[in-house]
Amino acid sequence: MPPVEPSSLVLPAVEREPVFQVRDLARIYGEGTAAVTALRGVDLDLFPGELIVLLGASGSGKSTLLNQLGGLDSPTRGTLLYRGWNLGAADEADLTRFRRDAVGFVFQAYNLIPSLTARENVALITEICRDPMAPEEALTLVGLGERMDHFPAQLSGGEQQRVAIARAIAKRPAVLLCDEPTGALDVRTGITVLEAIERSNRELGTLAVIITHNAILADMADRVFTLSDGRIVNERTNARRGSVSELAW
Amino acid sequence: MSLLDRKLLRDLRALKSQALAVALVMACGLAMMIMTRSLILSLETARDTYYGQNHFAEIFARLKRAPNALREQLAAIPGVAAVETSIAIQVTLDVPGLAEPAVGLINSLPERGEARLNRLYFRSGRLPLGQTTHGELAVSEAFADAHGLKPGDTLAAILNGTKQTFRLSGIALSPEFVFEAPPGAALPDNKTYGVFWMPYRELATAFQLYGAFNALALTLAPGASEGAVIAAVDRLLAPYGGRGAYGRENHPSHRRVEDEIRVLQGLSVAFPLVFLGVAAFMTNSVMSRQIALQREQIAMLKACGFSNAQVGAHYFKFSLAIVVVGVALGTLAGVMLGRRLVEMYHLFFRFPRLEFLLDTRVLFAAVFVSALAAFAGVAGAVRRAVRLPPAEAMRPEAPASYRPAYAERLGAARWFTPSFRMALRNIERRPVRGALTCLALALATAILIVPNSFRDGIGHVIDFQWDIVQRQTVTMSLVEPGPARAIADFRHLPGVVLAEPFRYVAVELRAGPVTRRLLLQGLLERGTLNRVIDAHSQQLTLPARGIVISGKLAEILHVKPGDEVIAKVLEGEERELAVPVAGLAEDFAGTAAYMELHALNRLLLEGDRINGAHLAVDGSRWDEFLRATKATPRSAGVVIKNLIREGFRKTTAESIGLLQKMYMLFATIVAFGIIYNSARISLSERARELATLRVLGFTRGEVGAVLVGELVLLTLVALPLGLVLGSGFASGIIASVNTETVRLPLVLTASNYAFAVLVVALASALSALFAARKLAEIDLVGALKALD
Repeated sequence: MPPVEPSSLVLPAVEREPVFQVRDLARIYGEGTAAVTALRGVDLDLFPGELIVLLGASGSGKSTLLNQLGGLDSPTRGTLLYRGWNLGAADEADLTRFRRDAVGFVFQAYNLIPSLTARENVALITEICRDPMAPEEALTLVGLGERMDHFPAQLSGGEQQRVAIARAIAKRPAVLLCDEPTGALDVRTGITVLEAIERSNRELGTLAVIITHNAILADMADRVFTLSDGRIVNERTNARRGSVSELAW
Repeated sequence: MSLLDRKLLRDLRALKSQALAVALVMACGLAMMIMTRSLILSLETARDTYYGQNHFAEIFARLKRAPNALREQLAAIPGVAAVETSIAIQVTLDVPGLAEPAVGLINSLPERGEARLNRLYFRSGRLPLGQTTHGELAVSEAFADAHGLKPGDTLAAILNGTKQTFRLSGIALSPEFVFEAPPGAALPDNKTYGVFWMPYRELATAFQLYGAFNALALTLAPGASEGAVIAAVDRLLAPYGGRGAYGRENHPSHRRVEDEIRVLQGLSVAFPLVFLGVAAFMTNSVMSRQIALQREQIAMLKACGFSNAQVGAHYFKFSLAIVVVGVALGTLAGVMLGRRLVEMYHLFFRFPRLEFLLDTRVLFAAVFVSALAAFAGVAGAVRRAVRLPPAEAMRPEAPASYRPAYAERLGAARWFTPSFRMALRNIERRPVRGALTCLALALATAILIVPNSFRDGIGHVIDFQWDIVQRQTVTMSLVEPGPARAIADFRHLPGVVLAEPFRYVAVELRAGPVTRRLLLQGLLERGTLNRVIDAHSQQLTLPARGIVISGKLAEILHVKPGDEVIAKVLEGEERELAVPVAGLAEDFAGTAAYMELHALNRLLLEGDRINGAHLAVDGSRWDEFLRATKATPRSAGVVIKNLIREGFRKTTAESIGLLQKMYMLFATIVAFGIIYNSARISLSERARELATLRVLGFTRGEVGAVLVGELVLLTLVALPLGLVLGSGFASGIIASVNTETVRLPLVLTASNYAFAVLVVALASALSALFAARKLAEIDLVGALKALD
C-alpha cells in the first residue's frame, strides 16, 4: 500500500484532492436467489477537513458504505480509492495497516476494553501507531482530563463515548468514522459527544463521516448525503456549518 | 426426539472441539482407572487360578539337611494339611550360545507320583524321567525364552564338581517362581539365572543327599494358625539347620505379585481423581459459557412454560454427552494400554495364562464417577441459569467491572503494557478460574516428573550398586564353605588380578520385639572390590568388633550405631550373642548386614572359612577366564556383574519407557485440552473486545497475543508450580514403594525438569495457536453494531 502520511492531514479544507473517491460502488452479500444488494452503484468524493453526515433509514446501506470506507469490507463492484490508492482491492494485511494508520472509529456501543482505564484504552492504540498524540492530550481534547484513570464501568455512557472519540483521534487519523455515535445517549450527553467530534474535525483537519438516522445532525455538516435502498438519493451542501449548540434538538 | 434434544445435538455440534477436549481429559482418567482395575482383575485371576490348580504352598522353609522320615512329624503338626519335601540346590550352568556361565536353581521332583504342592505346569514337553542314559531336566519358561531353548536341547551343569550334560524334557512353570529372580535381586535376570527341575533320585545322589531333603513346603488346614505352625516347624527343623519358615507374605515371588497389585490399587484411585477433577473443571467452564451465551434462550424457554427441571435436565444431558464420549474413549484406551502392560508383565511374571480381562464392574463405576464429575462441574452453572427470572434473563448481562491488578496497586504499573494489564486484570477478576487453570497445567507438568524421576533414581541405583559398591568383575561362590586357603584357587584362575574372599551365614537379628532373618556377610576390613558404603558415599571400614547394617534395617529394628543387636546364627551350631551396631550402610535392595571376615569367623567358631570370592578379571583374558570357570568343579555359581547390570538396565528401561510414553500422552492431552478450552472460552467471552481491536487496526497476531496473554501468564506460573508438585508426587510415590525389598532414591535432575517444562509449554503453545485460528472467523462488522 502507498504511504499513509498523517502529516498530510493538516491541509486546508479547500484542498481539492479527495481523501476518498468512490465510483459505482456496489456490495452484494450472498449469491443467486439468496443475494442481497446492500449498495447499488454509489458515487462520491470526500475531501480533507470536511464533516459529512450520511442519513438514511435502517437497511438504506449507510453502514455498508461506512464499512467500505473503513476498510472492514471489500466491494463487489466499482472503484474505491483512498488518496489514489485502490482500497477496494487491498488484501487483509493492507486493510489492517490502513485501519491502524488512517482511520479512527467511533461505535454506537463505544466498544471500550472493560479491563483498561480510559487512559489505557487510548494508550492501547497510541502504542501501535506512528505519530500519535499523548493519551492525556486526546482525553483533554474531549473534555475528560479529570477522569482518565476510571474504568469503563465507572464512566457514564457519554463519558465512555468521549473516551472512544479520544481513542479514535489520538492517532491523528486522516478519517474519523462515526457509526451512530449518539444513538445510545440522551440529548445532552449526545451534544457533548458531537462537540468532541466537531472539535477534532476542526482542530485536526480530519475528514469526519457520521452516519445517523437523526436528521437534526445534518445542520452541523459541510455536506449531507441521504441513502435509500443502497443508493445516494440526495446530496446537500450547507452554505454554513452550524455549531452543535445551534442544532434544533 | 424432542425438539429440545434436537437443539442439544446442534449445540453439541457447534461445541464439538471443546466437548472433545473435555472428553479426552476425562478419557485419560478413565483409561487409567479401567486399565489398572482390569490389570488387578487379570493378575488376581491368573494368580488365584494358578495357585489353586497347581497347589501353591502356604508355608515354606529351607534347611541344611533333614532325613525324609521327618516328613511324618511335620505332617503331624496340628493345622498342617499337606507336606512336600524336596531338594533345592544352586549350580553353575554352561548354556550353549552363552559365553558366560549362568546360575541354575535345581529343584527335585518327587520320586513317585505327582508333587502334592507347587505342581509344575508344562508349557511344552513333559516331566523329566529318571534313570535314563542321558539325564533329563525341565527348564523354567523365562530362562528357556531368554535362550531360545526347547525340549530336546541339551545343557551342561556342574553338579557337585562333575560336569554333566542334560537333555531338556520340557518347559515348565511353577507357582513358586511366578517372579523368577536370583535371591535378593530386585529384577529378574533370565539370561544368567534359571530354575530347573529334575527327579529326586538323580539330584539327591549327585549331592549325597539321598534320603534327605533341604526344602519344605506345606499347606494349612482350614482355620489353622499360620504363626503356630511356623513356630512348630522351626522347632522341628532347628536341629537340621533350619533357616526359619515363612508364610506366603514373605515368599519372594508371591510378594512381588502382591506388591504390583498394591501399586496398581494406588494408581487406580489417585490418577483418575486428578484427571476427572480437571475434567470437572473444564466441563464447568464450557457449560458456564454455554449457559451464559444461551441466557436469552433459557429465559425464552422458561417464559414459554418449560419447568426449571426440564431446563436443568437439558444442560445436564449436554454434559452427559461428553461423559459418553469420554467413557467410550477411556475404555478403548484403557483396554489398549492394559493389553500392552500385560505384555510387559511377561518380563516379570510367568503365569500359565495371563490375559487381559476387562473388569466390567469398573465400566459402571467409570460411567458413574465421570458422570458425577461432569455433573459436579455443571451443577453450579445450571443452578444459576434456572434461578434467573425470565424477565431478567432477557436483558443482556451487566458489563464486567474491573480494577487495577494487585501488582499494579503495588506500584509496578508503569512497567506494564496495556495488553499485559488486560491479562493481569482478567485473571484477577476470575481468580478461581485462573487458579484452577493454573493447577491443571501444573498437574500436567507434575505427572511428567514422576516417570523420569524413576528413571533417574534407577540410574543412580545402577551406578551406585555397580560402580561404587560392587567393583568386581565376577563373584564366584563355593558349593559349601571352604577353608580360607581356597582363595588361592581363585587367584590362580587365568586373568584374575585381584581376589577378595567373602563369607556369609544365615542369621536372625533381633532388637527388642523385632527380628529379621538375613545373610550376614563377612568381607575384608576395607575391600577394594566389594565395598560397604555409607549414606554419604564414603567407604566404611569394617571394625574388628561389631556389625554394619543397612540404614533401612536399622530403621526396622529401631537401632542406631552404638546400640546392640542380638545375632542368632541359623547354620551349624546354633549360637546367640550380642553385637554392637558399628555403622549404617546405604543400599537400595533388600536389607544387609556386614562384619569383618575374621570377626565373623570368630563368631561362628568355625576357623577361617570362606564362601567364595569377588574377583577382578583382566579384560584381555576374559574368554580364557570363562572357559576355566565353566569347568571349575567346586563353584556353585558365577555372577558376572556387567551381565546383571545390562539385564537390569534393559528390563527397567522397557517398563519405564512405556510409563514415560503413557504419562507424556496424558500430560499433553491435559495441557492441550485445558489451554484450548480456555482460549476458546476467552475468545467467545471477549469476541466483541477482540473484534474491536481488529477494527482499530490490530493485526491478527497482535489480537492473538491479547487473547493468549492471560494463558501465557497462567502457564508461566503453572510451570514452576508443576515442578514443585511433581517433585512432591515423585517423593511421595518413591516413599510409598520404599519397602524392605526395593528402595529408590529420590533423584530430581535439571533435565527431568526441563523435559516437563518443554512438553507442557509446547503442548500449550500449539494448543493456543490452534485455538487462535478461530480469530480469522471473528466478525469485524458485528463489533460495530450495538449490543442490544
